[in-house]
Amino acid sequence: MTYSSLLFIYLFFPVSLLLYTVTPNKLKDWILYGESLIFCCFMGFRPAVFIIIYCLVNYLAGLSIYHIPPKYKSIPLAVGILFDVIMLISFRSSYFAYLHSFTGIAQNIFPVGISIFTLSAIGYLADIYRGNSKCDKNFIRFSLYLMMFPRLIMGTIVSYDTFVYTLRNRRYNISEIGSGLLGFTKGLAKKLLIADSLYSLNSAVRNTPIDELSAAGAWLGIIAYILCLYFTLSGFSDMSCGLCRCFGMKFPNSFNYPLFTKKIRVFVSGWHIQLVHWFRKYITAPFSANFENPYVNKLIFVCVWTITGMWYGFSSGAAFWGMLLGIAVVIENKLNNQKRIRPSGIIYTMMTITLITVFLAQGSISRGFKYIGIMFGGNGNLADSAAAHMLKYNIVIILLAIYASTDLFRNTISRVKESRFKGILAVLTPIVSAVLLIICTALMSFSGQSESMIMML
Amino acid sequence: MKLAEKITSIVVMSIITAASVVSVINMAVNDNNKITLKNIANGEAADILSENIAADFFFGNELRSAAAQIGAKAGEPLVNGVYITEDRLLSIDEHSLSEGVNCANAVNAFAKDYEGAVYFTAVPTSAGIYGDKLPSYLISVTEKQISEEILQNLDVKIRPIDAYTILKNLSENYIYYRSDTKWTSYGAYCVYRTVAQKLGFIPVSYDKYAIRHVSDNYCGNLYSRTGYMESRSDIIDIYEYDDGTEIVSCKGTDSQGVVQDISLYDMEALKSDNPYDLYLGKDMEFIEIETTVNNEKSLLVIGDETADCLIPFLTKHYSKIDIVSADCFNGGSVEHINKADYEQTLFILGMEHISENFNS
Repeated sequence: MTYSSLLFIYLFFPVSLLLYTVTPNKLKDWILYGESLIFCCFMGFRPAVFIIIYCLVNYLAGLSIYHIPPKYKSIPLAVGILFDVIMLISFRSSYFAYLHSFTGIAQNIFPVGISIFTLSAIGYLADIYRGNSKCDKNFIRFSLYLMMFPRLIMGTIVSYDTFVYTLRNRRYNISEIGSGLLGFTKGLAKKLLIADSLYSLNSAVRNTPIDELSAAGAWLGIIAYILCLYFTLSGFSDMSCGLCRCFGMKFPNSFNYPLFTKKIRVFVSGWHIQLVHWFRKYITAPFSANFENPYVNKLIFVCVWTITGMWYGFSSGAAFWGMLLGIAVVIENKLNNQKRIRPSGIIYTMMTITLITVFLAQGSISRGFKYIGIMFGGNGNLADSAAAHMLKYNIVIILLAIYASTDLFRNTISRVKESRFKGILAVLTPIVSAVLLIICTALMSFSGQSESMIMML
Repeated sequence: MKLAEKITSIVVMSIITAASVVSVINMAVNDNNKITLKNIANGEAADILSENIAADFFFGNELRSAAAQIGAKAGEPLVNGVYITEDRLLSIDEHSLSEGVNCANAVNAFAKDYEGAVYFTAVPTSAGIYGDKLPSYLISVTEKQISEEILQNLDVKIRPIDAYTILKNLSENYIYYRSDTKWTSYGAYCVYRTVAQKLGFIPVSYDKYAIRHVSDNYCGNLYSRTGYMESRSDIIDIYEYDDGTEIVSCKGTDSQGVVQDISLYDMEALKSDNPYDLYLGKDMEFIEIETTVNNEKSLLVIGDETADCLIPFLTKHYSKIDIVSADCFNGGSVEHINKADYEQTLFILGMEHISENFNS
């Protein structure tokens, strides 16, 4: 079950919210835990048991780190992190295939959200080890940190202290639910109206034998991939934040209109903000602290971005994508500091990001280079009727996606809020939300859910 | 903005609540796939529940229809795996060449220890015949390629009938429904002419048939998948030829083993959700047809739903025709019958069946 399914929106969510509402405050954590367990059970019993065991292992590791003498603290820390990393690699790759059979989960399926809750768990253990955070003896609250269903799929990665603070300061009222539903419908529309349409375009290009692909078709394919990736990730992130808000918890959004920026470092700072922050806090910063040499620090920066790339996909292409992104930021900073060249401009950023993302899309370095060659006419075919056909039918959605990935709409709304027409928003906002929900429902009404996923995280 | 959020909360929650309540009531009333503990344990429950909700959703048909209209107008006219062309709906199905090899291997296994003659025909879907109306990037392996793969891999003792070429040459005619993947009675008749000759008979000529339009508002399986209102409904025909032969008995055995009298044309089916059941009624595992044809010849047909439309033509040539559902065919052995009892066996398998059952 994902957020973008009729089952979730019209059965699980309203029933969960109703139960949560009628439950006394002191029992709200328990009911949320029970609901999250049921949500996990929709993946099957064994994946649900796996997640419970996963929580238990990290909970016990946290307790051990906190309570045993300092010189032994590194042992439970290492065990906990090793366990988390092995689980992540086993479910995200074909390694450790026996674990799939143990959990009864098919090779291509894994506990939804494992990429997110693994980072949360490692961060929690590291914070306790460093003394930045106390371990929590409340297993239910700790489990909610990892598996709370509104946060499970592409939820915001926050520290445990931030999570507990948010949990303790829940603001639960009709206005917050309204805000949450607004965010949720916005995310749902991003996923169903834009990402799914672009997924079809990207699939069409992928189905074309690479030797028959024209340059125009290749450009269309990679543009569709980038936009689809952005709208899938940010759509689920918006849905998750919206759901959390419906349950009284406000978490920050993970994307800040990164695509059409004037510098690569601005793109990087607006792309999956909490994820990038997590890697900076738990990997870059501890390593960099041990070295004063700026070149070593730059090397660490690039290495961490390589690991970040692997978080998106266990392939050489994904790692290379991360590495190139890191190198691009280092070069850009260097050129800026020397004040000889100031690379800037939306076209420069977008071209660089597009070429780099080819490797993530293709999954291997060699295929990536081949694809880039085709983008520049390597097949001796600049454009063909298939590319014209794809462009004809997808130009509207591409333009809409480009507009929606900029901050133009948000700025327009901000200006309206400050003007004398702000009253109109009170009327338009619920209408637009309702219309978006109905359209998305119509699109899901064929099979009951949106099945096209560009990336399993 | 607080006011906007409050109104949004009320409006959106009202829509969700109303749709939830009606959908749950519909699901409770209708006999859908039931959720079992086993389904929940293996993680299939979510998919089954999602399909049930989609089937019984509040204004579900209207929503699907609206989504199809928007999809067809706004971008690529591809809705729920169905491509909408100007004159027909075409299903986009993924195929692999291994389907053809696996299918041929299964038929070869049947023929290995069989002393009679085996005939085989693979019937393409409408997308196989009218695939040139589809953008090339949507189809990686064509039904023609699979058909050729089957023919290449069939044992030499099996006599192939190339339905693809026959139907492709007649594609200007009304041989496929516009809103369905299957062939029309006329499409089946065109292939019957070749089948009858191969089986050793002179086919009944077209002008001898009295053609009766039994329905002119048939909306096929592709319409059901899209709800696309602008697709034209189809005509269902019955070909009747009174040469004095009659059907003596027609008995079907369902999957529960219950034997019941059925007819070549089940007129009641025209009022049901699946009017294509007109031909030989609802799905049966085994059908026995006895006729007044006095030649002591019997034929075993192993086929799927596609074959149902062609069987009535063959009843003019055999005193006995036994039909086994392709679902009961598993290579060497076939449920319900002893294959040694038949001198001739005819396989009529639709590409949809081949794709679903021989893909691995």
